[in-house]
Amino acid sequence: MSMPVTNPLRIGLRQERVIPPQCLVIFGASGDLTHRKLLPALFELFKQRRLPSEFAVLGCARRQWTDEIFKEKMEEALSSQIEESPNEWEVFSQNLFYEPVDLQQPEHLLKLGERLEVIDKLRATHGHRTFYLSVSPKFYGSGCRALASAGLLKDPKRSRVVIEKPFGRDFNSAQSLNSLVQSCAQESQIFRIDHYLGKETVQNILVLRFANTIFEPIWNRNYISSVQITSSETVGVEDRAGYYESSGALRDMVQNHLTQMLALTAMEPPGHFDPEAIRNEKAKVLQAVKLANEEKPWECCVRGQYSKGGSDEDPLLGYRDEPGVNPNSTTETYVAMKLFIDNWRWQGVPFYVRTGKRLAKRLSEVVLTFREAPVHLFDAAGGCPTSNQLILRIQPNEGAEFSFEVKSPGSGMRSRPVNMEFSYDESFGEPSDEGYVRLLADAMLGDPTLFTRSDEVEAAWRLYTPLLEKIEDSPWELPVYQYESRTWGPTESDLLIGKDQLLWRRP
Amino acid sequence: MSPQLTLQTPLQLPPAEIPTYLEQLWSNDEQGDKGANTFCLIVWQPAWIEQKLVKTGKISGPVVGSQRIDLIEAAREIILEGDLPNSTSPLDFRVQSSIQSEELIEDVEDLRGQYVDTSISNLQPRRLITIAPTIEKENNLETLVAAYCPLPEEGGGKTACGDVIVLRGNKTVINDGLKIVETLVPNELPSWLWWNGRIDEAPEFLDALALPNRRLIIDTALGEPIVCLNLLFQRIKSGQAVNDLNWLRLRSWRETLAMVFDPIHRRNALDNLEKIDIDIEGYQTVQGLLLAAWIADRLNWKLEDCIYTNKDQLKVSFLRPDKTLVEVGLTSLPIGKPSINPGQIVGLRLIAKNKKKNDICVILASESGECMRLEAGGMARMELIEQVVPIQKSSLENDVARLLSSSRGNTSPLLASAAPIAIEILDLVNQAN
Repeated sequence: MSMPVTNPLRIGLRQERVIPPQCLVIFGASGDLTHRKLLPALFELFKQRRLPSEFAVLGCARRQWTDEIFKEKMEEALSSQIEESPNEWEVFSQNLFYEPVDLQQPEHLLKLGERLEVIDKLRATHGHRTFYLSVSPKFYGSGCRALASAGLLKDPKRSRVVIEKPFGRDFNSAQSLNSLVQSCAQESQIFRIDHYLGKETVQNILVLRFANTIFEPIWNRNYISSVQITSSETVGVEDRAGYYESSGALRDMVQNHLTQMLALTAMEPPGHFDPEAIRNEKAKVLQAVKLANEEKPWECCVRGQYSKGGSDEDPLLGYRDEPGVNPNSTTETYVAMKLFIDNWRWQGVPFYVRTGKRLAKRLSEVVLTFREAPVHLFDAAGGCPTSNQLILRIQPNEGAEFSFEVKSPGSGMRSRPVNMEFSYDESFGEPSDEGYVRLLADAMLGDPTLFTRSDEVEAAWRLYTPLLEKIEDSPWELPVYQYESRTWGPTESDLLIGKDQLLWRRP
Repeated sequence: MSPQLTLQTPLQLPPAEIPTYLEQLWSNDEQGDKGANTFCLIVWQPAWIEQKLVKTGKISGPVVGSQRIDLIEAAREIILEGDLPNSTSPLDFRVQSSIQSEELIEDVEDLRGQYVDTSISNLQPRRLITIAPTIEKENNLETLVAAYCPLPEEGGGKTACGDVIVLRGNKTVINDGLKIVETLVPNELPSWLWWNGRIDEAPEFLDALALPNRRLIIDTALGEPIVCLNLLFQRIKSGQAVNDLNWLRLRSWRETLAMVFDPIHRRNALDNLEKIDIDIEGYQTVQGLLLAAWIADRLNWKLEDCIYTNKDQLKVSFLRPDKTLVEVGLTSLPIGKPSINPGQIVGLRLIAKNKKKNDICVILASESGECMRLEAGGMARMELIEQVVPIQKSSLENDVARLLSSSRGNTSPLLASAAPIAIEILDLVNQAN
């Protein structure tokens, strides 16, 4: 008998919250994100019966599409999902509408308002609207202003706006964008999305820390000697050269995803599980983070760029040879840095973060290394005992592992490390949802817990802006080191951590 | 968290004047507040046992309609004194008739409807309408009304206000005044009926209040099993949104059982189940039947046969998709100090045969004594998976608040699939008898 994919006793047991009647308005509906992530996530929510019956999606973009064309395009994009559930798609697609909108044209916004009124009546959505700005970042501010001018954000209880990353390019631009957006809507209406926070395993950092009594007493400088946060990709820049050339790894990954992982790992316990309590603690810890050497950032930060690699059969281009990339580009595709957190819990504990493209493996993880035992009573098989490590695997093979020393079999008393493992796939009877499924549902529910607040965004930019300025003003001080594609980054990165007699984990 | 009282003493008004009063109450609000945009909750709140215990002086007043500790303890004493079976639940209707006293206290304060549990008030109901029947044979209909603002527990935070309305009197006068209820339910908001009593105690009131478009909260642990299941089944079949607190209390059993089979290497055992034993407290079988029906539905089993082997044991057989027979036994145990809710499951045993490896025996029990009972008979020779299922400690009000906040009001699809199987089992039993 074939093995069922999902535990049949697990089906339907999840306690999901209720999404109120809702019209989701997607700006940039003809774009990549809509058909790759947003519509599949919405269809998944529909299949899981988590969308209310009073629901509509209104796609908006400059293209002169009709409702029918929009449906056809989405049907094309979701073809493999639809193949599995054609009947569900039949019902779901009746909720799809389209309106040609140029956010810069006030009359288009007026027309949009009228269309929304019609949809409200047609689908009984009661004026509950979530506006999703899946447009170029340069339109975030003007888009919000246009929505506000058309009066579409005036009801703070029933309208909200979701803004994609990147939220600003540095501290000043983030601050201006925040004040512009906050002049259009209340902070409670603004949902700055970071899709990493939608991952089960990222959320699990909170549960692991604050639902278990064994971790919190040792989650501090007294027991933890260092923390490594890694997010590595095997792919190169692909077709995003235009965007990537102007952002680089620091803006694309570190300022948002890695910094959010750091915040969840290092924050203090909130008083209660409440969006503001959690975001207060995250903002507080981010305000305490600093570069390990602010005076000489080159001492604590390494930039890299992938060069060619691969094999004769499968050669890989170097970054500067990629289509659309400046052949003399100094944009980093890799960055590693050492940070400290100036507070009682973490004083003196180095946090190493690294991210890069074309690295040896695709993975994201947080590794907490514990202090060595004060006295070595036993011989260790590897020469000296290995420090205990708690590894939180964000992706792939989501889960956690803890490594610790045990007695090696035999007559002597030699120790060696072993792993204790937890895997989401093996422990739970159903697959985890994509990050966007969770985040879209939360946005429509008005739950901001997993969205970044203005002060968090500004704290993160405040931390990295001096570094970005240094890179722009005196790039020779933070040169870009080349590394072969599909390796673990430049040698200088190993030297960065090696100065502290540590090694990057090579999983 | 202590239950909250309304901030002002409720005003007693003639029923006909209440709609006008409420209209004025909200239209006079200086800030233009029209009240919380949430839901309307109608509560059938008889609290028969509490009323009688307070009136006979066995517990102190006022009557509030909650499952207070002193009430449960007093009810347990009545069970002992009244020679009721030890496994009688303190909420059993027989407890009420066993409360003996020469004299009844006349002036008992009755705060039903004004005494709102925090878990419910936190949800900021727009309107709470409590129907509070009294045990007195002769009295007039009293209708009380008050504005109500839940106070935020930790300061700060904006709360939306609502109002409470209480209809109090004996069944006859309440019946006369019942027509006012529909005029008080705001059309634009979802409305719920929480039937906080035995399902079979006042069918005419239940029919009058549980209109088809109203979301219904019932407890199938209270009442004759066949009546409870019939009502559940019929209402679901009619398309009404039905939420069953007895089903909700099954969640830890369903979750724990699903957890046992989450690891992939155990998944095959589900295809090889041959025997299931469910132990329940006393003789209210609905929860046990719903658990058996849920498992059968999830595993695609077909009901084959059903018999009572004796008063305490019901045997049901199902056919697996591979045509193998599965035997499910439901045993009533004479528990000495049963839970508040009748017919709670105390133990569950599943046996899966495996030709290639050891047979598997899964035992879930509410306490270790029950584990030992279910291990007997050589179960430990198999690959034994045991777990103690935490007893649900949440209050009735918490469970209701959970439904009000987490359900979109519709019937759980799992309950909708399990209920017809459970009723089919009881129908077969009736046919066999």
